[in-house]
Amino acid sequence: MQKIDDFSMELNFTEAYRSNINEHIAIREAKCHQAQFPAVLTEIQENDRLAGRTFWGWVGFSPHNAPGGAAYGYFCHDQKIIEAIERGNIPLEQRDGVHEMLHFWKKETSKAKVEAAFTEKMLPVLFRDEIVSLPYNFKPLIANPIYRMAGVFVDYEKLLTLGIPGLGTEITEYRDKSKASGGDYKLYEGMLIALDVFVDSCRHYEKQALEKAQTTNDPKRAKELFQLAKVLKKNAVSKPETFYEALQLSWLYTLICGSLELGRVDVYLGDYYVHDIDNGIITEEEALSLMHSYWRLINELFRDVDGRVIIGGRGRRNEKNADRFALLALETMRTYGRAILPQTTLRFYEGMNPELMEKSISLIGDGHTFPLLYNDDVLIPGVAAAHDVPIEDAEQYMPLGCGEIVIDHMGFGTPSGSLNVLKALDITLRDGVDHISGKRLGLPTGDLKDFKMFDEFFSAFKKQLAFFIEILADHEDLEYVESGKQAPYLYLSMLYDDCIARGKAIFSGGIKYLGGSLESFGSVNTADSLTAIKKMVFDQKLISPERLIAALDNNFVGYEKEHKLLKECPKYGNDDNYADDIMVELHDFMCNNIRDQRDRTNLDWYLNVLINNKQNTILGRWVGASADGRKAGREMANANTPAGGNDKKGVTALINSLVKPSHAIHAGTVQNMRFGRDLYTADRPRFEVILSTYFKKGGAQAMITVINRGDLENALVEPEKHQDLFVRIGGFSSRYIDLPKDVQLEILSRVTY
Amino acid sequence: MSEKAIIFDIQRASLHDGPGIRTTIFLKGCPLDCLWCHNPEAIATKRQLFFHFDKCTQCGDCAKVCEDDVHHFIDGKHTIDFDKCTFCGKCVEACNFNALKIIGTEMSTYEVMLEIMADFDFYTNSGGGMTLSGGEPLLHFSFSMELLKRCKEMAVSTCVETSGFVSAIQFKQILPFVDLLLFDYKVTGKEDYRKYTGVANEPILQNLDLAYHQGIPIILRCPVIPGINDTNQHFKGISALNVQYPNLKGIEILPYHTMGNNKRTSIGVEETLTHLKTVPPEVSAKWIVQLREAGCNKAKIG
Repeated sequence: MQKIDDFSMELNFTEAYRSNINEHIAIREAKCHQAQFPAVLTEIQENDRLAGRTFWGWVGFSPHNAPGGAAYGYFCHDQKIIEAIERGNIPLEQRDGVHEMLHFWKKETSKAKVEAAFTEKMLPVLFRDEIVSLPYNFKPLIANPIYRMAGVFVDYEKLLTLGIPGLGTEITEYRDKSKASGGDYKLYEGMLIALDVFVDSCRHYEKQALEKAQTTNDPKRAKELFQLAKVLKKNAVSKPETFYEALQLSWLYTLICGSLELGRVDVYLGDYYVHDIDNGIITEEEALSLMHSYWRLINELFRDVDGRVIIGGRGRRNEKNADRFALLALETMRTYGRAILPQTTLRFYEGMNPELMEKSISLIGDGHTFPLLYNDDVLIPGVAAAHDVPIEDAEQYMPLGCGEIVIDHMGFGTPSGSLNVLKALDITLRDGVDHISGKRLGLPTGDLKDFKMFDEFFSAFKKQLAFFIEILADHEDLEYVESGKQAPYLYLSMLYDDCIARGKAIFSGGIKYLGGSLESFGSVNTADSLTAIKKMVFDQKLISPERLIAALDNNFVGYEKEHKLLKECPKYGNDDNYADDIMVELHDFMCNNIRDQRDRTNLDWYLNVLINNKQNTILGRWVGASADGRKAGREMANANTPAGGNDKKGVTALINSLVKPSHAIHAGTVQNMRFGRDLYTADRPRFEVILSTYFKKGGAQAMITVINRGDLENALVEPEKHQDLFVRIGGFSSRYIDLPKDVQLEILSRVTY
Repeated sequence: MSEKAIIFDIQRASLHDGPGIRTTIFLKGCPLDCLWCHNPEAIATKRQLFFHFDKCTQCGDCAKVCEDDVHHFIDGKHTIDFDKCTFCGKCVEACNFNALKIIGTEMSTYEVMLEIMADFDFYTNSGGGMTLSGGEPLLHFSFSMELLKRCKEMAVSTCVETSGFVSAIQFKQILPFVDLLLFDYKVTGKEDYRKYTGVANEPILQNLDLAYHQGIPIILRCPVIPGINDTNQHFKGISALNVQYPNLKGIEILPYHTMGNNKRTSIGVEETLTHLKTVPPEVSAKWIVQLREAGCNKAKIG
């Protein structure tokens, strides 16, 4: 018998939305949550010490965490529903409804609302419904819209301090005041319903834990389940008092609010943990067991690019307790073994408890891909400048997902678009026309041969970039406006400053800072290409403009001489100012131009991020051969990292280049460094000096992989023997053998020291 | 005025030529001709054409541009008349496969200093600095002297890797600017020394004695080549130095490896020691045991 494709949740959800379509958006959203939870919460598994698993439906509401890679607001996963229709296992009585539901959401999803609101200027540049999701992305795009509300860091401290009932009391007071003064009190009503939904979900799991406790034959497990039921019951009726209760409450809230980030766990869990340990309420062993369950849930339920558990750093009110919890988190990493998630992130500063860094370095050396290292001494002033916020708010910076920086429960900044910088250069060589599709994608700024001076050409390129940047900034703005019109995102608004006090939802004027970011890809290849064009075409005139275009059009076949000359031009990453200066000029232009978009939009900040994920490979597929010698369709270099194999002067020269671009004008860069295991094991003191010097020189961030090149080569040949080999591609870690072959080769091509 | 010399490589982030993180400057030219030399392209003082056989596709582009009749294609084989080369660089430019290069670039101490200073922060944090190597760096006395002085002026710690085969007068002048000497001790016995390296060992031993008694920190570096100097006699010689100079900073054993040998044919020199293979770690570990038994506790693999 085949499994039934049951759509009752989706149909109920759709009905809740439809029957409240003219209601206040807060009430409508709350009713939808009622249809969604606890229906999408799945069973407590055999080893779970914490309750909270999900199987999101194909229709639903979530800022970020839901099927299809990522959700955005009201979502409908057409493809999955059509697949189910084709399988023919939908119960008869649901079939008409399912067909009709598909039609209904076509105009009602949050994504459809944004697309329907595209301006004249956006229409020809941003592709709409036909966009094929990554990694397929068959359109050679320069500006790519991204739909999701990523980087949710709710105020866990408030959640735990007040508990659900306390939060309810606060909201009720505001509601009554608002009602008395004739204000928009329905927002608060919606929040209260959402809190009831949360309590129902606690009760749902409490009941489940009790049932499981009564049916198990294992007395130890029964005891655990009774304990869990007690914790859930407590969460439903009062604020947490123990570490266990705090951990359970924060986890279930994370899941239900649709976040994929965990935030400053050491701050919000530290006091509970220390209290319980010091008073003999819990043993270290028991705490570790709970943490393992926490780790497993994150690992199984979140996506590979998110799941940020953040420890260390400045601005922790309970630093000593937080440090103790941070050490527990690192111990959890060590004992849990290598895992893709969570993306444990260590923030550090000069003078912090050195044990945290020492333990982190040991983990990295043992082949863990985490923690990721963030230098507060550089980043806090950097964030204060770039995000234009006071230092005390900058101290609460949070890197989300792949590394975009937002401010803990004060500032939201989802990346809503990506810019393929190398492709923009590609069309600037050809009067704004994409030579692959033959279509005009950019402004008519002339052909390469029309420029007499390199600076004129660079200016034309900047004009093209500015054109796409404006459109992407407007798109980010539009996305928030449309989101705000359609839903108050109740679980976020309840725990983001200052929504409750202002009586406004997060995307409708409630939040303290509403920002955004633009993910740019291919900057390093672009800078190296500009360098090569400057040197070969304009300065030395060894290659004519016509000849260069012909060489690129032919992917260097028949143009081996030109290819060699281009490859031999100076490259970023070798501490060579000829190349590095152009990288810095490009970086400055992009970051400043993007930052200045806040003057033309409603955004409090809009900033460039030079992060990495798989997009450097995916977007690279649709870029022709480039003047740095990169062949057509090949991957672009990751983030700020020199293109594979181009950093030939050793790690010190690499570091000197890496610290040249400013960190006060963007919202996150990723600096990948790979070290051979031999250096790490045989020479740890020097390994540490290299790192500490990098940070002292102004290095903001480091993603370090200690790896043996031989490991990777062997893994290509015998994948089954290298299941445990994890690599990090900037923002995410992956089993090396699970990656597409071209990504594997790209990683291999990066130099190992 | 800045002294100039032919540099064949500058290695940054060097971890094997002295303490900490270093920048090693390799000067071209050496008065010795050790059979086992792993940098044979550093022996000749002048610039040299270097040919990667395995990268050559026999396209013949090099022969077309060469005005000195250096490149020949006979029976589909690329042969090179190295002696005729005038280092014009045209063939290097013509080769699309990077099979040809010219070894050696003339640089001034000023230019070299710029590269050294780029990593200054790494030296201070790691206790590293600049290492002068070669070839035999002290062959270029004026250049080395000036570079060492400049380093001291800029508070860069200095290390010199030398065979010790240099006039005592010059050596004495250099010493005040050296923080650490990596001093080669290659073969024990006058006859053998000349046989395997081509030079006499007396001035070398005198210079070692001079440096030691001036209180310069010294690490002895001893290449050990199976069948040549992996002998009891030589190990006793090393131990004797250890007794004679109790304050040596260290004794590093450098086991033979073959990585330098194929470079010989690339510069038109006949290969040596073709019968030898890279020394496996278990063999070199035995040498260390042997040395320690002879009372040489400082010995370790370099």
